[in-house]
Parts: sequence; C-alpha cells; structure tokens
Amino acid sequence: MAIIERPSTDVATTGTAPVYVTTDTTYGVFRRPVQSEGWTSWLFTVDHKKLGIMYGVTAMVFFVIGGLEAMLIRAQLAGPDGTILSADRYNQMFTMHATTMVFLFVMPMAAAFANFMVPLQIGARDVAFPRINAFGFWCFLLGGIFLNTSWFLGGAADGGWFMYAPNSSVTFSPTNGIDFWLLGLLITGIASQTGAINLIVTALNMRAPGMTLMRMPIFTWMILVVQFLLLFAIPVITVALVLLMFQRGFDATFFSVEAGADPLLWQHLFWIFGHPEVYILVLPAFGIISEVLPVFSKKPLFGYPFVVFSGAAIGFVGWGVWAHHMFASGLGPVSVAVFSVATMAIAVPTGVKIINWTLTMWGGKLRFTTAMLFAVGLIIQFTVGGLSGVTHAVAPSDTQQTDTYYIVAHLHYVIFGGAVLGLFAGLYYWWPKIFGKVLNESWGKANFWGMIIGMNLTFGPMHIIGLQGQPRRMYVWTEARAGEGFFNLGFWNLVSTIGSVVLAFGILFFFINIWVSHRKGTQPAPLDPWDARSLEWLTSNPPKEHNFDRTPTVHALDEVFHRKYEDRGENGQHDYVRVATTEELLAEEEANADSHIHLPAPSYWPLVLAFSLPVMAYGVIYSTLLIVAGAGILALAMYGWAMEPSYADPSDYDPDPPSGGAELEVANRG
Amino acid sequence: MTHRTRGTAGVTDVANHDRTSMQPATPMTSVTPVSTTRPLRRRAAWLGVAGGAIALSGCATNAPQDTWAPRGENAQMIHDLQWPIFAIAGVVGLIVFVAVGYSVVKFRDRGQPIPEQTHGRPALEIGLTILPAVILAVIAVPTVSTIFALADTDDTDCVINVTGQQWWWEYDYPVLDDGTICGYEPADGLTAAPIITSGQLVMPAGTNVLVRGTSRDVIHSYWIPQLNGKKDMVPGRVHYLRLQSDTPGIYAGQCTEFCGLSHANMRMEAVVLEPADFQRWIDNELAPYEAPEEGTLAAQGETVYVQQCARCHQVNGLVDPLTGDLVVSNPQDHVWSGAAPNLTKLMARNTFAGATWDLLTPECRADVWEAAPEDFGERYLEGVSEACLNTVDLREWLRNSPAKKPMYADAERLEVTDGKVRGMPYLALSEDQIDALLAYLLERK
Repeated sequence: MAIIERPSTDVATTGTAPVYVTTDTTYGVFRRPVQSEGWTSWLFTVDHKKLGIMYGVTAMVFFVIGGLEAMLIRAQLAGPDGTILSADRYNQMFTMHATTMVFLFVMPMAAAFANFMVPLQIGARDVAFPRINAFGFWCFLLGGIFLNTSWFLGGAADGGWFMYAPNSSVTFSPTNGIDFWLLGLLITGIASQTGAINLIVTALNMRAPGMTLMRMPIFTWMILVVQFLLLFAIPVITVALVLLMFQRGFDATFFSVEAGADPLLWQHLFWIFGHPEVYILVLPAFGIISEVLPVFSKKPLFGYPFVVFSGAAIGFVGWGVWAHHMFASGLGPVSVAVFSVATMAIAVPTGVKIINWTLTMWGGKLRFTTAMLFAVGLIIQFTVGGLSGVTHAVAPSDTQQTDTYYIVAHLHYVIFGGAVLGLFAGLYYWWPKIFGKVLNESWGKANFWGMIIGMNLTFGPMHIIGLQGQPRRMYVWTEARAGEGFFNLGFWNLVSTIGSVVLAFGILFFFINIWVSHRKGTQPAPLDPWDARSLEWLTSNPPKEHNFDRTPTVHALDEVFHRKYEDRGENGQHDYVRVATTEELLAEEEANADSHIHLPAPSYWPLVLAFSLPVMAYGVIYSTLLIVAGAGILALAMYGWAMEPSYADPSDYDPDPPSGGAELEVANRG
Repeated sequence: MTHRTRGTAGVTDVANHDRTSMQPATPMTSVTPVSTTRPLRRRAAWLGVAGGAIALSGCATNAPQDTWAPRGENAQMIHDLQWPIFAIAGVVGLIVFVAVGYSVVKFRDRGQPIPEQTHGRPALEIGLTILPAVILAVIAVPTVSTIFALADTDDTDCVINVTGQQWWWEYDYPVLDDGTICGYEPADGLTAAPIITSGQLVMPAGTNVLVRGTSRDVIHSYWIPQLNGKKDMVPGRVHYLRLQSDTPGIYAGQCTEFCGLSHANMRMEAVVLEPADFQRWIDNELAPYEAPEEGTLAAQGETVYVQQCARCHQVNGLVDPLTGDLVVSNPQDHVWSGAAPNLTKLMARNTFAGATWDLLTPECRADVWEAAPEDFGERYLEGVSEACLNTVDLREWLRNSPAKKPMYADAERLEVTDGKVRGMPYLALSEDQIDALLAYLLERK
C-alpha cells in the first residue's frame, strides 16, 4: 500500500518551517491520486521500484517481439532463395529487430535495473525526480507501442536501424514506416534523456551518509557512466532524427544530394550517437556482473578503482571512435588511421575489465548459482566479441569484414554475449529482492545452457558465413555464391537457424521458470539468499515502499558484507567470522526507524503528458488536427503537473501510524 | 601466380613490391611485427579454439567471396595484415578461456575459508593494463602503413568508372587523352569510344586498376573480396578503389551497403584477362553494330527491341528498321536513377539483372568459372552461344521482371518518383515477342 505522506509538522527537530499545502490549493482534478492498491496504483505510481518492474516487464515483452522477428529472419535464411518473407518484409524485419532489441529491450531493461537498484544501492528512498521518472517510463512504453503500430499501418521502417541517407528519404522509402520509426525513437529518446538526468542527480546527490563516490557500488557506478553517455548521445540522435523528420515530412534537403548535401552527414550524426550507444548497452551488464561475481566468489571486486576508472575511460574514449563504423565510407586514409588506432585504444579499458573479473574469481570461494553462471558466461562470450572487435579495429581487415555476417557475429557476441547475459545474471541475482521469490535453480540452469548453446550455434557460424563473404541485410542468399566443403554457406546458415531455435527454447525456459518459481506453495525468498554485499540487501524482500526504515550510514565499500563479517585473523592471517545475520541487521534498522519518512505521492500527470506525444506523432504522419489535439493535451498536462500540490489532501492520508517505523513496516505488509 | 603462401615470404613479397609515394620509407621495418608472430599462428592452429577455426577457414578456397583467399596484391596486403591479428586474438582468447576455466574448476567452493577481502594489487593491475596496450600498439604500426598503402593512387595504370544504382553496376571505360582505353589502343579500323557495360568489370591482368566510383541514387558498396576490401559508392562523391590481379579468372562480389528493396540482388564480378585477351575484348566491344539478317527471327526481335526495350536500354549503332533512324535510348525519362544497362554486347558478358542471374546454363557456366587461368580468356571471350544460353531465367525475366527481382516498377507506387521506375517494369511481352527477343539478343556479342 502506498504511504501517503503528510506535511511534516516536526518544526522543532528540523528547525525549518514546513511548507504547508492547504486544501485550498488542492482543487478538483488536480488533487493527487492516492490509490495504493490495484492497477491504478501502478498507472499513477512514481515509486522507482514499481517503475523499475514496469520497465522490466515491458522490455521483456519487446524482447519476445524482437526475438520473433529474429526467428523469422533466420527461417528465411535457413536455405538458399528463402521465400518465407518478401524482400520488403525482410527489410522491415531486420530494421525492426535491431531497433526493438536496442531501443526497446536492452536499454529499458538496463533502465529497469537502474531504476530499481540505484536508489536501493545508495540508501535513498527514491530517485531525485519521481514524477519525471514515471514520465520517462510512459514515454518509453507509448513510444514503443507507437513504433510497432507501423506494422499494421502500411509496413514498418525498411531502411535498417542505421537508416542511412539518402535511402531513408521519401523517394526511396515511400511508406510511412520510417516516419513511425523516427517519431517513435524521438519519443523513447525522451525517456532516456530524462532518465539520465534523473539518475545522475540521484547518484550524485542522494547517497547515504558515508557513501563516498569510491564506496559506491560498482553497478551504480556503471549506471552513472551510462547516464552521462546518454545525456550527451541522445541529443545527437535527436538532432539527426529531427533533421530526418524535416527531410521526409516537410521537404527539407539536409540529405538530398541533388541539393548539395553530403549523405555522410547522417552517418557521422548517427554513429556519434551509435557508438556510445554500444557502451550504453553493455556497461550496465558489466555493472551487474561486477556485483554478481564478488558475491558468489566471496571476494571484493578485484581492482575496484580500476574497474571504475576503466568504465569512465570507456565513457570518454567511446566518443572518439564512431568513424570505425565508416571505414568503408570513403573518409580518406588519415581519418581512417586515426579512428583505427583510437579503436584499438578503447580495447585496453575493456580488457582491464575482463582481467579484473577473472582475478575476482581467482582465489575465491565460488558458488555456481544461475546468476554466477550467466556472469561467467558473459566473460567468455564477451571476450569472443571483443577479440573479433580487435580484428576490425584494424581498418584494412575491416574493409573485408564490414557489412558481412562476421560483423553480425561480432555484434551479437558483444550485445547478446555481453549485455543480454549480464541482464539475465541480474534477473537471477535480484529476482528475490524484486519479487520476494528465488527463481528455480534447475530451470535456471536449463535457461542458462539453452541460451549459451543456442547463442553459440546461432552466432558462432556467422563468423564463418561472414568470412566466406556473405553480406548482411540480404533477404536471400544464393547457392551460386555458397561454395562447397566444410565452410559452405548452406550448412552454416542451417546450423545458425537451428541454433536460433535452441536459443528460443533457452529463453522460453526463463519464462517457464518464472511460472514455476511463483506457483502456489513456493517458499518466499530468504532475506539474504546469496550472502550479498551491498545496501539493497539491507531491506526486506521485496523492499519496503520507503526502502529503508533508517537511512543507513555507510562505512565501507561492500557495507553489508562488513556488517555481517568481522576479520578476527592475526599476523596477516585472515579469519572472517560471521557476527550478525541479515535478519538481525534488518531488525536493528527497524528498531531505529526514522520518525519522518519523505516519499513522493503518486501523480496522474506523467501519464497524461506522455500520452500527448504519440498523439502528436500520429498527427505528424496523418493530420495536423491531431498535432493540435496532442498539443492541447500536452499543455493541459504541463499545467496540471506544475500546479499539482506537493501533498495529498488531508482526507486522503493513511490512517495515523501509532508511532515509529516498525509499525509502518507492519502496515506495509498488510 | 600471385596467390602467395601466407607467412614471411608473402609479407616480404608484398613489401618489396614497388610502391610509391604513400608507402613508408622502410617497408621492411613496418612489417617486422607481422613476421615475428608466425609461431603464434602455429600454436593457435594446434589448439583449435574459435580463433583457430577461423584461421582454418582461410586455407580452403570455398565460397567465391571468401575473404581469406586473396587473388590480387591489394587483397594480399590485407590478408598479410589480418591473419597474424586473428592469430594474436586467438591466443589472447585462449589465455582468457584457460584462466577463467582454471578459476572455475580450482576455486569452486569446497568449504575453504572466506578469502582475503582485498581489492587487489595495483602493480599487477598496472602490468595487466600495459600488456594489452603493448599488444595493440604492435598491431597499430602495420595497420597504419597498410591503410596508407591501400589509399595510394599514384601507381595507377588504368582507370575504370564505376557507378552504382538500384540495383546494378555500370562500368564506363573512358578514352584517355592519348586515345587509348585503359592503356590499350583499339585495333585498326575501330574508333576509340567510351565502352559502357554492366555487371562484369573486365580488367587486364597485372595492371593496377583504379576504380573511380560513385552512385546515381543511394549509397552502394563495391566489393570484390578476392581483389580488395570494399568501398562505399556515395552519390555526390567520388571514391577510389584499387584492384589488381595477375591471375585470369572471374572474381565474385556483391553490393555490401544496404541499398533498398533488392540489395540482395545487386551483385558484380571482376573478370581478369591476359593483356592479349583484354585487347580482343576491347576490340569486340568497339566493333560496329551488325543488324540481324532480314527475314530471321532475330530481325523480328530487333523490331520488338526497338519498340519495347530501346526506350531505356541502349544498343550502340542500332538503326530502327522501319524508319532508318539511329535509335538513342532515353532512360532519364523513365528510370529514376537515369540509366539502364547498355545491351550492345550483352552476350559478351555472362550475367544479367545486376549480375544476379547467369546468361550461361549451369554446365557452360562451370566451364568458364572453373577454367584454368591459361584457358580462361578463351572461354570467357566465347561469350554466350545459343546452346549455352540460360533461357530459363532469361525468359522468366522477360515475362515479368519485377516478379523475379523485387523492384519499384508498379505505376501505383511511383507517385514520389514522378512515375519513374526504380528497376525494370513489367512489359507484358507475348511468348512470340520473347522468342524473337532472345534470338536478337543472342547476336549481341
């Protein structure tokens, strides 16, 4: 149930006059919603945990959609001259597969973990701007739905997710698909941009007492780096998308060669966004396994400062390598040489991470839970992707590989082997924290091995297919160019397709696992099932609505571990003795609960404001009237948002809590 | 033979090859790191990891677009650079796998005490940071020198203009100031004129060809993997790509920049001929038009061609048999990109429709593709005979080309291009007309 906060009257202790919002200022529809149960509590929530779950569920739905698109692609390519999809449909399919996986699955899934975990990891009660957080989620959801409605409205975008000009202009793509694509991404981009600002402020300003930056959990660190990447990358793609919108909708000539434009402008804009985007995709996963590996190795992260700074280094150098996507574009040898060497340079901090993960396990006490398996799987699979990346950092070698299946293999080892395996590690690791149930380990292992075998069967052969010269983005391949013998394209394309079926089963096992683990009669998760190390484990499962009864004070990195264990060893010997159970730690926090808990109240306006955006977007495509209607809703929502009182109407308050936080906790469970 | 064995010998060979301005002053020094890595390659092959499997793929001559089977100097330069890097990557990968595998087995929880809670040793950390940096610095040196070597345009012997459009390539052999084409003088009695062809780029062996490329619509990418890496051909820009081979034969390629609907059906081939054969090819291309004999099926085909095809497809020297006027095609009035393949010598090449289908039957095709280098020129210059004509695909194409190759040719969808097609439209030809056209086209060689 929602805690509806009353204005603080505790003037004596705080010394500052509270801001009262009287009933006079809560008028009509502008009073804040107070629903604490049922679906409306989700619709109007500003709770970072609820929003995190909503991000996650939505991302998973899009993951399934993107996966089905991938299955259709592989079915088409299983044999020569495939006929399952027409050329047109196929082009839409690979465009939407990439768009969906990047913008509607990996990014929001990382946002799900960031939303849920960052406030918990830093000992905060919520993010800095809760209503903007909700607004971001609705932008993502509605933008994603808007984008996918194009399937039913004349066909989806068919220009590839990179949408190179001038193939993206109306002349060459006369359907509305690309309009849906660019408008949809403009809307989801708002989610990323607002989320970035929100989480940066949260991580920098709302850390618990004692949590210096170098005591901040590594996941939060990586999320912080990613938010800075988003902060600067999203504006670049937004500019590009707006230019494209004017190009297509209003006959502008930004990319029209006949009007003197250079089509390479789009490529630069796209990849100045697109390369940092790669790190936006993988760094959250790196953060997750940097949490998981220490917990299941019973050791701190090896070289924590190196991992932090290498993450930050990737964040900086990542801006200087975009043109390695353009080695065949005709940049000239000086540019190519510079970007080639810069790309090699970024392999160093990436290599540092792999070394540190390996050395974290070295000398540890390893427990192979499913979360740990996914983390180790990431190290291996991402290394494969990283090393194939080095082979095309070498620009001359890249001119043989770019736009072939070798790149498809590389990017899937990086994004699936890196980001997706990391996200699954996070799902298994934090599931008890989020939902209060431990996911079944047997199904988890089936899930893991299904995905690992599936991904290697699917993407492994693509190395061969690509080096044998099969380009990407072809709706058919031909026997005449397939060759014979061990490396023939026919065999390996078939293996890849079979692999995609295995992979699909691997992922299906995850959904079965959710069902199995949440059946009636399954035990609630223990408070601290993994013997974990960071602050999010210092609250109940699932966390209380206000996260912590008492704002924790931090004394060390891995605070929770150090509260549980004490080193009683002498003379350089170490002997870690358990001094407290997590239940005892939690009981102590509850006994000393803060008397006043500041929590934001729910709000209608984020949803209404976000709703206005797809209305206007449909208007751009179909009718100016819709733009006007959407703008009306937008104005109303902004007004309502601005005028909304800070506190709910007194008649909406929760019943008076007797006193102290322990009772609050009881009420919360009720 | 230029197909050099991999390893030190090959590296030396290339390095010694006469390169001019852009080549670093000491080519031998710049490739030294490459040759020192040779033992690593052996180890990688022995241990058969992923990197090793990839290395193996270079040994076989498999698919015609195999990127590990160089047949020309430029591709060889890339190959000499890339295999040691694959080997290094394989070894590094192996070390990581072994280290992770060892940790996984060795440090499994068997009830050992909780390990020391340490964040590691900075010295070890710094060392392990410098190590990859050093490896990458070693890779960077030959990389940069190869980038500049492959961008060199000073040693060009022959320029060929290449233009991409949806979804085929046009080749244009300009007449140079000295009256030659690609350095070759046409035989006596022939007038030097630009040769315009499509699908197959014909080039002389042992010659540094410079492709001067652009596009008429969207971005395409020119790629003959056995001769060089790819280069995007961008509308409004001119990009250069070096091609060279000493070995006569056909080298397959494919457009590798996504260029819309029929991107998969935009292929090309490079045909390398001995200089004498190349001379014959030029002379044949420049030979004057020969009208079909009156009363033959081919003569009927000529009339059909003038009525149905000549709007867009140029046949040089064609005279309308009804009016006696020279027929000049106007593709710019009908096709968005403003060009259509020149069919003057259609049957002298052996593919059509963006090199997507063969003009030769599978048996005849194999005769040409698999001919030994010394016989290849002879086979190729035979062109397409009646017995060898692949009538199956060509008939299907003439019956309904947009059904065979997806194109924007449907009048209803052409609003945004002022009614101009992108590709070849449906022509509603009768079977008789197709028979006549085939007979006429067979003589175009």
